[in-house]
Amino acid sequence: MQFFLQQCLIGITNGALVALVALGYTMVYGIIRLINFAHGDLIMLGACLALTLVSTLGLAAAGPAAAWGGVAALVLLCGLFCGGLNVAVDRIVYRPLRSAPKLAPLVSAIGVSFIFMNVGLFWLGPADRSFPELLPATNLLPGDGLQFTAKDLLVLVVVVPLMAGLSFLVKSTRLGKAMRAVSQDPVAAALVGIDVDRVIAATFFVGGFLGGAASVIYGLYINTIGFQMGFQNGLYAFTAAVLGGIGSIPGAVVGGLVIGLVRALSSAYVGERWTGAIVFAILIVILVFRPEGLLGRGTREKV
Amino acid sequence: MNVRIRAPWLLSACLLVLAGCRPADPTLVKIVSSLPRTGSAKQQSDTLVRGIRMAIEEAEGRVGPFRVEYLDLDDSTAAAGQWTSEAEAANARRALQDPDVVAYIGTFNSGAAKVSMPILNLGDLLMVSPANTAVGLTKPGLGAPGEPGVYRPTGRLNYTRVVPADDLQGPLSADWAKARGVKRVYILDDNEVYGKGIADLFDERCHEIGIEVVGHDSIDAKAQEFKSLMASVKAAHPDLVYFGGTTQSKGGQLAKDMASAGIGAILMVPDGCREQVFIDSAGAANLEGRCFVTFGGLPPEKLTGKGKEFVERYRARYGELPEAYAVYGYEAACVALHAIRETGSKDRRAIADTALAIHDFDGALGRWGFDANGDTTMRTLTVSAVRNGKFEFEEILDAADLEPAPTP
Amino acid sequence: MMRHDRERRDAPAAVTPPGRIGAFLRERWDLVALAVLAVAPLVVPALGGALGGQVTTLFIYCILALGLNVMVGYTGLVHLGIAAFFGIGAYLCAILTVPMYPFQMRFATATAASVVVTALIGLALGAPTLRLRGDYLAIVTLGFGEVVKVTLRNLEQITGGMKGLNPVPPPGAGLKVGGLDLGLAFAIDPRWFYYLALAALAAVVVAMRRLEHSRLGRAWVAVREDELAASAMGISAIRVKLSAFAMSSAVAGLAGCLYAASLSTTADPNAYDFNRSIMVLCAVILGGLGSIPGTLLGVALLVGFDTVLAPWADSAIQQWNINPSGSSLLSFSGWRLAIFGLALVLVMRYRPEGLVPSRRVAAELHEAHP
Repeated sequence: MQFFLQQCLIGITNGALVALVALGYTMVYGIIRLINFAHGDLIMLGACLALTLVSTLGLAAAGPAAAWGGVAALVLLCGLFCGGLNVAVDRIVYRPLRSAPKLAPLVSAIGVSFIFMNVGLFWLGPADRSFPELLPATNLLPGDGLQFTAKDLLVLVVVVPLMAGLSFLVKSTRLGKAMRAVSQDPVAAALVGIDVDRVIAATFFVGGFLGGAASVIYGLYINTIGFQMGFQNGLYAFTAAVLGGIGSIPGAVVGGLVIGLVRALSSAYVGERWTGAIVFAILIVILVFRPEGLLGRGTREKV
Repeated sequence: MNVRIRAPWLLSACLLVLAGCRPADPTLVKIVSSLPRTGSAKQQSDTLVRGIRMAIEEAEGRVGPFRVEYLDLDDSTAAAGQWTSEAEAANARRALQDPDVVAYIGTFNSGAAKVSMPILNLGDLLMVSPANTAVGLTKPGLGAPGEPGVYRPTGRLNYTRVVPADDLQGPLSADWAKARGVKRVYILDDNEVYGKGIADLFDERCHEIGIEVVGHDSIDAKAQEFKSLMASVKAAHPDLVYFGGTTQSKGGQLAKDMASAGIGAILMVPDGCREQVFIDSAGAANLEGRCFVTFGGLPPEKLTGKGKEFVERYRARYGELPEAYAVYGYEAACVALHAIRETGSKDRRAIADTALAIHDFDGALGRWGFDANGDTTMRTLTVSAVRNGKFEFEEILDAADLEPAPTP
Repeated sequence: MMRHDRERRDAPAAVTPPGRIGAFLRERWDLVALAVLAVAPLVVPALGGALGGQVTTLFIYCILALGLNVMVGYTGLVHLGIAAFFGIGAYLCAILTVPMYPFQMRFATATAASVVVTALIGLALGAPTLRLRGDYLAIVTLGFGEVVKVTLRNLEQITGGMKGLNPVPPPGAGLKVGGLDLGLAFAIDPRWFYYLALAALAAVVVAMRRLEHSRLGRAWVAVREDELAASAMGISAIRVKLSAFAMSSAVAGLAGCLYAASLSTTADPNAYDFNRSIMVLCAVILGGLGSIPGTLLGVALLVGFDTVLAPWADSAIQQWNINPSGSSLLSFSGWRLAIFGLALVLVMRYRPEGLVPSRRVAAELHEAHP
C-alpha cells in the first residue's frame, strides 16, 4: 500500500510539472490553433539560462534561505526570458503566417524547434549537464515511510500558485477576457476593438513565462539538462494537453496529472521500458473515442 | 532558377566530382579508425584517437618500408547523436574499397561492430577493437545462436580485440559482490547490446553463486528521470544495484535518482561508465564511497613498464592524465603497426594472420597474446571506487579467482 | 474551381526554356534522370564503393518520401509517424528472411508479404482515426510512431530488441544465375543494390504518376481541398482517406524491406523514430508538396546534405585544421540543426509550396496571399 502511495506521490509531483508545460501548449493552441512544437525546446533554453545563472550567482554554495530566494529570482528571470523569446518568435515567424494554411506555421514551429536545439547544443555541449542541488534532499516526512523532499515541495509550491494565477488572469482580467474572445473568433474580436496581435503576443508571453518557470523547476527537480530534453518532455506535455482537451486550461492540468500518474504507475507495475508505449497508447485510445479530450468541448464544423 | 531542368545534371555533376579515384600507392599504408566522434561518446573516442595518434607518431609515420597515414572516421551522425548502422557500414565499405587501407581500428560500441564485422570479413581486413566487450562477437556458445559464425561469412577470422570481454567482467563482478557479503541485487540495463549483455551475464552468475536477484528491468535510455523506477527498486530492498550500461545511456541520472530516493544500496557499474563524465553527471556527492566501477584490464595509474611510459608521454603531450581507454587505443594501433611491420607487405590476409598469431606481445598493457578466437589472453579486472570525485583503485580481480559454480 | 487547363502537366508557370532540348528536358525529366542514373555506375567508379551504398540509401528514402507524399501531398493529411511503417516493413522482411526463423523466404516473396501486411497495419491505424481533424491526426500518427518504436524495442524475443535482426540475407541468396552467385554479388558489390533500388524507385514513380491522373488520385486531391464539398459530390471521404493510408504505408513498407536488405540488418528500433519521420516530412515539404519531382529533389537535398555534404565539410575542416579543439561551434555538423530549422522557416515564409511544387498546391497556398 505504501508503495502505491509513494508512486502516486511521485506521479502527482511529476504530473504537476508536466501540467505546467502543458499549459504553455494549450494557451498557444487555444488562441491561434498552432501546435507550438518549439515550446519544449524553449523550456530547454530556459533551463540553460538557469544553469548559467546558478553558476554565475554561485547559488550552489549559499545557505537554505538564500537558496529559496535564489529560486524565486531564477523563476522570475527565466520566466521573463522565455516569455520574451516566445513573443519574439511569434512576431518574427508566426505573425506573417496568420492567414496562411495550417501547414505553414506547423512546419515553421518545427523549424524553430530545431534552431532552439542547436542553440542549446552550443550552450550546453553534446553531453547532458548536471544541475546543482540547491535544495536539500532530506525527507520532509517523518519516519522511513513515504519520501517527500524539499524538491517535491518546490514543484508544488511553484506550480500551484502559477496555475491559480493563470486561472485568475483568464477569468477575471480584461486581458483574459480578450484572450477568450480572440480564441473564440478573432475576426469578431477585432471588430469589437480588441488588438488581436497584441493579445496573441500577450498569450505567447504568458505561455513562455510558465515555460520558463517550468524550466527552473525541471532543473532543480531532475537535476540534469541536455540539449535534447525539449523533445521528450514536450512530447509528454503535449500529450497531456491533448488528453485534457487542447485549448482548455483546466484540461491541461488534469491531463498533466493523469500523464504523471500513468507514467509512475506503469513504471511500477508494468515495467519501466513500457512506459512510453503505454502513455501514447492511452493518448491514441482517448483521441479515437473522445477526440476533444477529457475536458474539451466538441466543435461543429460549419459548411 | 528552374531547378527542375538542372536537377539531374546537378546530381550527375556531384557524383562525378565525388568520384575521385586514385590508384593504389605502393609505399603508403593507411590505418583507419571508426569511432563515435559526434554526440555524447565524443570524449571517450577523443582519448582513444589520441592514443592511436601517439602510437603512429612514435613510429614517426613509418612502418617497415611504408609510410603510414591515419584516418579518423566517424561512425556516428549529428542527426542521431550516436553511432548508426548506416555510418558504420559506410565506413567499413570505404575502408575495403581503398586499397591502401590495411587495418581498421574499431569499433567502440559492440552493436556497431556487429554491422561492420561481416563486411570487413569478406575483405579479410584486419579489425582491432579497443573497446568491444560483447561476448558473442568472438566466443562461440555464449552469445545469441549463430554467433560468432554470422560475423565470419568466409569462415576465416579477421577480428581481434585488446580488451577482455564481458564473460570476464560480468561474472567477476558478481563474485566480487558475493565476497563483500551482498545477498540481494537489483539489476538494471539500458537494453543495448553491451549493457543488456553484461547485465544478463551478471544475472546468470548471481543465480549460480547464490545471490538473490530481486529484480531485473530495462530502462529507456531516452527517459529523463527514473524516480518511479527508483521507488520500485527501494521497495525491493537490495544490497546492491547493478547497472549494465554507459554514461550515455543515463548511468549518471540513475545514480542521481538512486541517491535522492534514499536508497542505501551500493551501485556497481561496468567499464562503459568508467569516465570522469560519469562522476560529473551523477554528482560526486551521490557516488561518494558507494559506487564501484569494473574495468577489464588495468587503469592508467596502475600500468607498469611500457604502459607507465605511455601515461607519462600522454601527460607530457596533452597536459592531463589519460582516461581509461587511451591506452587501449594506443595498444590497438601498436598491434596494427606490428602486424604490418612483421608481414612486410600490403596483403590484407597476411596482415590479419600475423596479428592473430601474436602470442607474446610486450605492450603497454603488459605481456599478452591473442587466443584462437581473437580475444586477448589478459584476464585481469580492476575494481575502482568513486571517492572524492575521482576513481580510486580498489582491487584487482583475476579470472583464476572465478569460483566454479556450486554443483547442484 | 476548374483548373484542368493548367493541370495537364506538372510544368511551372512562366518559364521559357532555351529551345527544344530544354523543352524535352522539362517534360521528360524523369527519363533523363533515369538514363543518367542507370549509366552512372558504369562511368563513376566511386559508385562501386561507399558512394554506391549511400546513393542506394538515397533511393530508398526517395521511395519512403513518395509514400509520405501520398498522405501529406495528395490527400493533405499530416502524418508524423511514417518512420514507424518504414520500420515495420524492415522488421517484417527481416523476420521472414533471417536464418533465426523458420520462414526463410526469398527476398521477393518476403517483400511482397511485408508490403501487404504493412498496408493492412496502416488500414488498422487509419480506420479509427478518420474522424479526427488535421492536428489531432498528426498527433495520433506521432503517438503511433512512438508506440511502434517502443514495442519493437521491447519485444526482444521477436525483434531482437536493440540488437535488431541480423544478418538479413541479400536478395538472391543461394541463387546461381549463369554461374554467378547472386547472393554473394549483392553482398560484395554495392551496384547490385543500386540497380535494385533504382528499379524499385522507377516503378514507384510510374505507379504514383498513374495514380495522380486516376480517379483515386483526383479523389485524394478533392478531399484535400475541401472534404465536405467532396463528400457532397459523392466521394466517400472515408474510403479515400483509408486508401491513402494504405498506399502510403505499403510504399513505406517497401522502402523498409529494401533498407533492411541493403544494410543486411534491421538496425536498432531507434532508427525508426520521430526524427526520421520529421526528416522525410521536411524533404517532402521543402521539395514540393504533391509533386513527384519536388519530393525527389527534397530528399536528394536533405539526404545529400546529411550524408554527403556534412561529412565532407567536417573532414575538410579536420584536414585544414580549422578546429583543433573539436568544439561544435566550428564544425559543420554542429550547425546542422540550425540550418535545417532556418530552411524550414524561410521556405514556409516565402515559398510554402516548396521548391518544385505541383501547380495546384501552389495555387492553393497562394490563394490567401494574392
